[in-house]
Amino acid sequence: MTSSPSKNGTGMIEFRGVNKWFGALNVLRDITLSVEPREVVVVCGPSGSGKSTLIRCINGLETIKDGDLVVDGQRLGDPATNMTRLRTEIGFVFQSFNLYPHKTALENVTLAPIHVRKIPRTEAEQAGRELLAKVGLADKVDAYPAQLSGGQQQRVAIARCLGMRPKIMLFDEPTSALDPEMISEVLDVMVAVAEEGMTMMVVTHEMGFARKVAQRVVFMDAGAIVESGTPDEFFSDPKTDRSRAFLSRILRH
Amino acid sequence: MAVPATHCCSLLPYSLFTIRQSPSLFITARPMLENFSFRTIVEYLPLFGQGLVTTVWLSALSFAGALAVGIVLAAMNLQRGRLFRVPAKAYIDAVRATPLLAQLYFLYFGLPRLGFVLPELVVGILALSLNSGAYVAEIIRAGILSIPRGQVEAGVASGMTYVQRMRFVILPQAFKVTIPPLLGQAIVLVKDSALLSLISVSELTRAGQLLASDRFMPAEGFITIAAFYLLLYYGLKGLAALSGRWFGLQPARSST
Repeated sequence: MTSSPSKNGTGMIEFRGVNKWFGALNVLRDITLSVEPREVVVVCGPSGSGKSTLIRCINGLETIKDGDLVVDGQRLGDPATNMTRLRTEIGFVFQSFNLYPHKTALENVTLAPIHVRKIPRTEAEQAGRELLAKVGLADKVDAYPAQLSGGQQQRVAIARCLGMRPKIMLFDEPTSALDPEMISEVLDVMVAVAEEGMTMMVVTHEMGFARKVAQRVVFMDAGAIVESGTPDEFFSDPKTDRSRAFLSRILRH
Repeated sequence: MAVPATHCCSLLPYSLFTIRQSPSLFITARPMLENFSFRTIVEYLPLFGQGLVTTVWLSALSFAGALAVGIVLAAMNLQRGRLFRVPAKAYIDAVRATPLLAQLYFLYFGLPRLGFVLPELVVGILALSLNSGAYVAEIIRAGILSIPRGQVEAGVASGMTYVQRMRFVILPQAFKVTIPPLLGQAIVLVKDSALLSLISVSELTRAGQLLASDRFMPAEGFITIAAFYLLLYYGLKGLAALSGRWFGLQPARSST
């Protein structure tokens, strides 16, 4: 039921008693969760349950009110933690892609490596081309985001994160804005990233993806983690009424 | 029944007819057009030419100044802290609420009292820069705020600093959005520069005033300067079209 933090605190991502409010709304309630290196955790739950907020806290897009959040050994909110530096270790894939519309696919991928990681341009471009080839877009290197389909844009966005060689990848509903026929091309790329041993937290309702690569499924409701277990446990034998109700709703179609 | 209707309909043409026949209008309009002296205009062309050149470069300098003032004000206005935001807002409000003429005289008569005796031309450029800068600040601020929040977040998430985000992500996109309103502001500035004739800067309007008062030919003077301002307007529009091509201006497209 509960996902306790590892005893010695070696988790890549460690939430300990984290709370967050938006005004009077308690959007994260006493979250305690540990994600081990190379682990893939799928977060699901009804809309407004705090899933997105949960993973946005990890790279500091949202700040937490109380509790501890330790990422890659560094405590968030600690003056000693260099947030900008830490973010280079964390890739974040948005629901709405957020590619830079004035840059080509390759420039989207190489921008941060060149200016943040200070990798020489030729080296970064070489790596960028390889990454775009890896996500199946070798022929779209010079295309602008507006010339790409949603699925292609999201694959560029994943390549953009991988270009930073992160230790952690966070996905915030990466396929929710896509047409059905484009979902699988993005999921395939995510499976490949997971199989290479990336530490991942994925907010998604794609249960096929969860079954295939997740070690753990975390179910959230009203800001709290209600249930957590292996995909098999969670899908075949949900423990709480709320998770059963949720599953019956999403599995119906 | 039919009689009042026809009577009613005939009212309008009838009144037009009487106006056309009105002796006073006929007399005042006629000499102005008949005596319109192209010869005098040609005679004054060198003066108009000098005025035009002065208007062009003083407007260019003032717009450069306005951009500098505007960028600083916009940056101040976008800060979270009130320390910078409040003075910037107060300045912008003060400039937008008062007439440019009042601001111009304020500087023209006020600066010498503070011990700054500057040439009229410098006072004029200063006034135009400070005035237009307030409007430019709002244009730039709106341009930056028009960039979707997701763009900022993408930059943040990839570890960019504030300056890097501005430089590589926000400003290049905001720049394209702001070109058309900035062009509009530049056109306003060129026309506003006509007010500098009131502190005897020899720019385009001043040339028209001289013709009007020396030869008692207001029509020649002011129609000529109007034609030159029209020319400047089309020049600026052409420049904007060119710059649009240089910067690959296209309708702002967003991935969000």
